[in-house]
Amino acid sequence: MITRRQVIAGAPLLVSAAPPQRPKIAAICTTYFQYSHSQHIVDRFLIGYGWNGEHHKPPMDLVSLWVDQVGEKDLSPSRLKEFPSTKGYPSIAEALTLGTGKLAVDGVLLIGEHGRYPRNEKGQRKYPRYEFFKEIVKVFESSGRAAPVFNDKHLSWHWPWALEMYETSRRLKFPFMAGSSLPVTWRTPSVEMPDGARVREALCVGYGGVDSYDFHALETVQCMVERRKGGEAGVEWLHAYRGENFWKAMAEGVWSKDLMEAALCRSHTLKPSREGFNNDFPTLDSMRRLMKDPVAYVYQHSDGLKAAILLMNGLVQDFNFAARIDGRREPFSTQMYLPMPPARTTLANFFTPLVNNVEQMFLTGNPTYPVERTLLTTGLTAAGVDSLHEGQKRVETPHLAKIAYAAPKQSTFWRT
Amino acid sequence: MPKRVAILTTIYRYLSHAQHMGDRLLIGYPLHGRWHKPDLQVVSLYVDQKPKGDQSEERAREFGFKVYPTIAAALRQGGEKLAVDAVLLIGEHGEYPKNELGQVLYPRYEFFKQCVDVFEKDGRSVPVYNDKHLSYRFEKAKWMVDQSRRMGFPMLAGSSLPVTWRLPDVEIPLNSEIEEALMVGVGGSDPMDYHALEAMQSMVERRKGGETGVKSVQLIDGEAVWKAGEDGRWSKRLLTAALSRSDSPQGLSLTDGRPQDLVGSGELRKLVKAPAAYLIERNDGLRTTLLMLNGAVRDYTFAARVKGQGIVSTQFFLSPVPNVTYSACLVSKIEEMYVTGKAPYPVERTLIVSGALESCLQSRHKGGEKLETPHLAVRYRAPKLSQHMRG
Repeated sequence: MITRRQVIAGAPLLVSAAPPQRPKIAAICTTYFQYSHSQHIVDRFLIGYGWNGEHHKPPMDLVSLWVDQVGEKDLSPSRLKEFPSTKGYPSIAEALTLGTGKLAVDGVLLIGEHGRYPRNEKGQRKYPRYEFFKEIVKVFESSGRAAPVFNDKHLSWHWPWALEMYETSRRLKFPFMAGSSLPVTWRTPSVEMPDGARVREALCVGYGGVDSYDFHALETVQCMVERRKGGEAGVEWLHAYRGENFWKAMAEGVWSKDLMEAALCRSHTLKPSREGFNNDFPTLDSMRRLMKDPVAYVYQHSDGLKAAILLMNGLVQDFNFAARIDGRREPFSTQMYLPMPPARTTLANFFTPLVNNVEQMFLTGNPTYPVERTLLTTGLTAAGVDSLHEGQKRVETPHLAKIAYAAPKQSTFWRT
Repeated sequence: MPKRVAILTTIYRYLSHAQHMGDRLLIGYPLHGRWHKPDLQVVSLYVDQKPKGDQSEERAREFGFKVYPTIAAALRQGGEKLAVDAVLLIGEHGEYPKNELGQVLYPRYEFFKQCVDVFEKDGRSVPVYNDKHLSYRFEKAKWMVDQSRRMGFPMLAGSSLPVTWRLPDVEIPLNSEIEEALMVGVGGSDPMDYHALEAMQSMVERRKGGETGVKSVQLIDGEAVWKAGEDGRWSKRLLTAALSRSDSPQGLSLTDGRPQDLVGSGELRKLVKAPAAYLIERNDGLRTTLLMLNGAVRDYTFAARVKGQGIVSTQFFLSPVPNVTYSACLVSKIEEMYVTGKAPYPVERTLIVSGALESCLQSRHKGGEKLETPHLAVRYRAPKLSQHMRG
């Protein structure tokens, strides 16, 4: 029995050394409508998914579900009816204790994406990931036991809170994973950044908005560059460019044109710039015509590596990576492929490898990739917002400058 | 000097095969993370039909070549002798009649024959790529291949499915013992079943002993398809494996986004109103099946049981419209043949598929009768690497 004093002193909580044969999982969600992250993730636990040529059912039971905002089109009521062994609970604590007063699950899904939450003055959507996490930790602490947690997408929008989430997981020593599906989805081509590569510059050409898809682009870059020689070292500063400043930065070579072009040549969704052509490479003039409000975050790692993400809305609708690596004449490039519904597919199957990685953590107690990746990209996302908010000034990021970690030997992207 | 190319096509209109393949020769295409500009020059174009939206004259003006009134003139650039170094023959799209088997009578053989006539008269031949299957009729298809062998010009044909990206990026090792194979396709006959058959062929041709030819075919549809599955004439396990690679199950996935085990749940039968099974038996005993499952999914997936490797399954990735980057994968192979003078994979792949498809359609026409196909004893060896896009 762990005393309250020990908890306050920050003694690690007990995570059962050998996870149970069939873990019980709780899902804590903001909302659960079709194509929401909760639907993609929780459904895969409830129903299973295609994996390695089978319909794979995770060897665990999703026993409880808590949804913060149940809207008109919410699927959680019908899912609860359809899967009676999953129970809905009125609070996070009860979903974790199953009404017993003590932690009664072996893994927690924290999905704080989608739903009606206000934006702050910087435009950040205040998804309550930190708040949910606090509730979860409260149960861990009062129970003297913790369980692995997966946090979908970035940690809190508010850096001190994000850091606190990370530090809490370290202090209480429970397995913690987070992030986007971009690092784990299919790649076309199916290539791996060589372990220990000397990466000179890296970028992602992606799309989407600030404080949303920028995070996916940052994770795209990070899952690749973290494999470089010396491992991840942290990030010293970030400079965001938007609109006219984007074009100016591009003209000045703030990021390498050849890397940008390599990434664009990996796109499957390059908007044709001329009528009657289905797949042409845009000139600078046509890029200017096609792209709406482009955004770039350019940032420098503590070991000198320069990286950038380019949100090229109007030009592409996919995430493409390119890097300059010593020993290669041509840029190293690939696409992180998202089979995105509803236009092209019915299943957002990029959630499949994400769920599979989370499942492995629930089964073994070992995260398959370090949460420091997402701690860093969380900080970069917020720094991007700050830089834009402060008039597109370069922002120093001393709080990110020492986030150093080693990448797993094998990256965990989908290739089987 | 860039090699000179003649494009011979049925129509040249936005999103027709001629447009998205021909344009890649004119303006380049994405390849290995670069915008690749082929060292080729399109010098002539023949279009059989000029429907509304025809782009032939517009392209000719912009890129400095001529549209010729006949194939011979296009091949000779209006002169006396063959004046090109390569031919891109695209007999797809356009208004052509259908025969009683439901085949669109695209004039690929007829175009090809005119090329051969010019080659013979002018005493020189050049590489020819024929888009999609060869002729709708096996005798004509075989004649096409025989001419290329007789006259010694490189010939490549077929679909982009064998060379597009695969999800996952799997390659069946050459000389594997393939025990059974199954392909899932969608769309109409005979354009889309052809693509699916050729995708499957690019996998099964890698088996030990190579391709030995097709012994018999049977095309059944409706309830008989499910019964054949129950009777073990095709493998439900392989179907589950193939469908596990789909990103587009219909029905409940469409309604509420959920993943599905279409076979295990029984939903498959509800979704597919008109299933068709193309049961194709090979001379070495291998059973290969194409299931056309309209209503169930919208993508092309494959599974095979391979000795020592278990079940190998993948999706042939048809990347989004309008870029259709899968056609860039194919054009890079065509360009390779034009430049090196060697076809990167054997045209027999397309020959056997052309014939198997025709025989399947005859089987359907005869009420699903099983047909022996001694004429399809097409034997060939697969290339060491299947050459799908992976770089």
